[in-house]
Amino acid sequence: MTRPVHPLLIALTVLVFIFLVGPLVIVVGSALSDTTYLTFPPQGLSLRWFENIFAIAAFRRTIITSLQIAFISTAIALVIGIPAAYALNRHRIQLPAWLSTLFVLPVLVPELVLGFSLLKSVATGFQVPIFPALIIGHTLLVLPYVVRVISASLANFDFAAEEAAVSLGSPPLKTFFTIVLPNVRSGVIAAFILCFITSINDVSISIFLTGPGISTLPIQILAHVEQFFDPTIASVSVLLMALTVAVMAVVERTLGLTFLAK
Amino acid sequence: MTQKLSISNISAHYGQTKVLEDLSLEVGEGELVSLLGASGCGKTTTLRLVAGFLTPTSGTITLGGKDLTRLPAHKRDIGLVFQNYALFPHMSVADNVGFGLKQRGINGPERKTRVDAMLERVGLSALADRLPGALSGGQKQRVALARALVIEPPLLMFDEPLSNLDAKLRIDMRVEIRQLQRANGTTSVYVTHDQEEAFSISDRVAIMHQGRIMQLDTPETLYQRPANAFVARFVGFENLVPMRVVERDGAKVTAEAEGGVRLTLPLENYGGHIPDAFVLACRDEGLSVTPDLAMEGIPATLGLRTYLGRAYQYQAETPAGHLVANGPLTQPLEPGMAVKLVPVPEQCTILAPE
Amino acid sequence: MKKFAGWTLSTPATLVVVAFLILPVAATFWTTFSTPNGPLAPYFAFFNSNLRRTVLLRTINVSLATTAISLVIGFLTAYVISRTPGWLKSILIIAAVFPLLTGVVVRSFAWLIILGRNGILNTSLISLGITDTPFQMLYTQGSVIVAMVYLFVPLMILTCVGVLESIPDDLIQASSSLGASPTATFLQVILPLATPGLIVGAVLVFTGSFTAYATPQLLGGEQVMMMGTLMYQQAMVVFDWVSASTIAAIMVVFTIAIVLVMTRVARRLNPMAV
Repeated sequence: MTRPVHPLLIALTVLVFIFLVGPLVIVVGSALSDTTYLTFPPQGLSLRWFENIFAIAAFRRTIITSLQIAFISTAIALVIGIPAAYALNRHRIQLPAWLSTLFVLPVLVPELVLGFSLLKSVATGFQVPIFPALIIGHTLLVLPYVVRVISASLANFDFAAEEAAVSLGSPPLKTFFTIVLPNVRSGVIAAFILCFITSINDVSISIFLTGPGISTLPIQILAHVEQFFDPTIASVSVLLMALTVAVMAVVERTLGLTFLAK
Repeated sequence: MTQKLSISNISAHYGQTKVLEDLSLEVGEGELVSLLGASGCGKTTTLRLVAGFLTPTSGTITLGGKDLTRLPAHKRDIGLVFQNYALFPHMSVADNVGFGLKQRGINGPERKTRVDAMLERVGLSALADRLPGALSGGQKQRVALARALVIEPPLLMFDEPLSNLDAKLRIDMRVEIRQLQRANGTTSVYVTHDQEEAFSISDRVAIMHQGRIMQLDTPETLYQRPANAFVARFVGFENLVPMRVVERDGAKVTAEAEGGVRLTLPLENYGGHIPDAFVLACRDEGLSVTPDLAMEGIPATLGLRTYLGRAYQYQAETPAGHLVANGPLTQPLEPGMAVKLVPVPEQCTILAPE
Repeated sequence: MKKFAGWTLSTPATLVVVAFLILPVAATFWTTFSTPNGPLAPYFAFFNSNLRRTVLLRTINVSLATTAISLVIGFLTAYVISRTPGWLKSILIIAAVFPLLTGVVVRSFAWLIILGRNGILNTSLISLGITDTPFQMLYTQGSVIVAMVYLFVPLMILTCVGVLESIPDDLIQASSSLGASPTATFLQVILPLATPGLIVGAVLVFTGSFTAYATPQLLGGEQVMMMGTLMYQQAMVVFDWVSASTIAAIMVVFTIAIVLVMTRVARRLNPMAV
């Protein structure tokens, strides 16, 4: 296939990718610096700032809290979101059109507004403690991903296979687990990964819901940056990037990277 | 505005796979040649090479004596009709048809006149302002045709243009395409996998297989005198029986197949000459089933009988292998019967051995 | 039973959205209508305040600039990517996805290191002798825009790659077979067909910038306050929840209006949907 591209466009693309990757390289470099201030290129190589992350109790705590919240809220979103996505695809006729819009709402409503409203009504109004309030916020944050990704997978699934299984004597609930779910497996994995990473990285909802004693990693990073400007944050950032790499490796293994382009 | 297309010794690769090997083809002025074959035979690749969407690894393509091989697609001036029409969905029918003229700097009233005239010819004047999305398959096909014709290209190429239409429309459209092509006298290349379509529309047909042209001839010749076993099977000679001559007797030869089956073949029925070793190729209607075992023919035991409308078709086991034969509707025969299969010369031909 | 299967299965998710999204957000809206000074008083207060009007206008400006720059860069890059063969294309897509999956905080923090007073850019400029006093780059509108573009370009690239790949190859070949040069094909076929998708991408970037918090907080600070940071300040520093609710309501109305209007425009422009 001959597809000529103008050399200027190629030059622009190269610059864009330097722009995209460069800052992250700088973060990695700064994390390895042996200095007490942030600098690049690193002066002296050291892993001391990585050790420093775990030396600071606040980081240890928030890393664990962030992981817990990501797992729990993703799990809840999958448990309530998969049946909803299934219903929206399988029983489209009996459900009103607005229902699918309803599950997109958390995307339409700015996260900041959602976070603030949850603070006002749920955390303050109903005195819900910080941890469950964060779970609620993050579940709403990731629910649209579950519904959208699972719906996309189900759109490619031929429900005749389900009917075939039922006609062969398989009860409906069992059929769902033996026939439908295995066929949207890649969708479930994708949804899980997207939700998990979205939750881990969230600022706008958590910023309102975290409080004394319980915080998430990104909020802790924000707080730390305001007081200290040492390479610790660069090291934490590298940890988060490592998580991203791990996630992409999982995606590559299970779905192929072309999936990410969709 | 009609020119001769010459494709000389082109080869093409997709990555490491060779898809065309040393292919040569000439299409005369005003001639319509079809490239016929199963998917993967190289017919579409040939078309894409001529259109300029692919570059051959070797060989040359010329049109009216001008070398096209390295010319970018948009400078080749070839009218193309695509399988799925490839109409621009954001332009009206008239704008689609006028697109090529616009690229040629033809604007204003002249463009409008030519577009209107072309739409008139394909019977779409009433739909000029519609978007392609609002048209039926047949209408889209007409727009695609008009769009390719209006630039008055020296060469027209069709890439399976009718495969998305239903059977009835397909037949109407192919007549229409042939009439327009004849009227303009435009040199044309027509790619299809449908034998009936290729035979009905073309001056000559190239039957392709694995990147090579197996035979290039008029439909009549291909149908009656295939040059090799592949083409013979392709045009419906289901029974291929290798034989060798054991006795020549003036106007007749006696030949023997595997299992000691002997047949006497009059030379006049097979073009006046039968080589010492040959393959007898017969369509199913070229082997007639008879329960009269005294007749000369291939002894056989009948298998499954199926009803074809004009005759019964029988599966038959013979010493020369499994064959397919026909028998009259007046006399259905039962499986297991011993019969003779008598060659019908008009439905049989002779091929060189493989 | 069968008749209600759809309802039964979608009820838990519906309840969660209604209880924890619709009702709380509605309550936030209600706060702004039920003040002692009359139903629309907080909005008058908002638009009468010079500071707040400035913040709103600045937010619109920054978001428009971010959207425009991301759109141009993202579309052109996506065009090159969509024309790149095989493995190189995968690498480019990975390079675009990676920043997207890396959190907002990390990506904004990177620009803090680059643009800081003793950041890489200033140190480089000084060591090159271009200047001897560091430039104030942080806490300017420019730094916020740069970091926001950095935030949204990957999203724009991926959206545009998707849009461009959905344009059938046949159309591009048809165009060139009819004599259109690559530039003419780009302008007359590719661009018009991509426009609806570009609008959708632009809406994502605009609403994302309009409601951003972490980036303006880190790179804009108090000096370059935007709607998100102002709302946080009102809610968590000043504890004026009526004011914060008002800002929240304005953000919601603004983003939803933009989404509705622009998706309608996109739909009208999309001939494929006919």
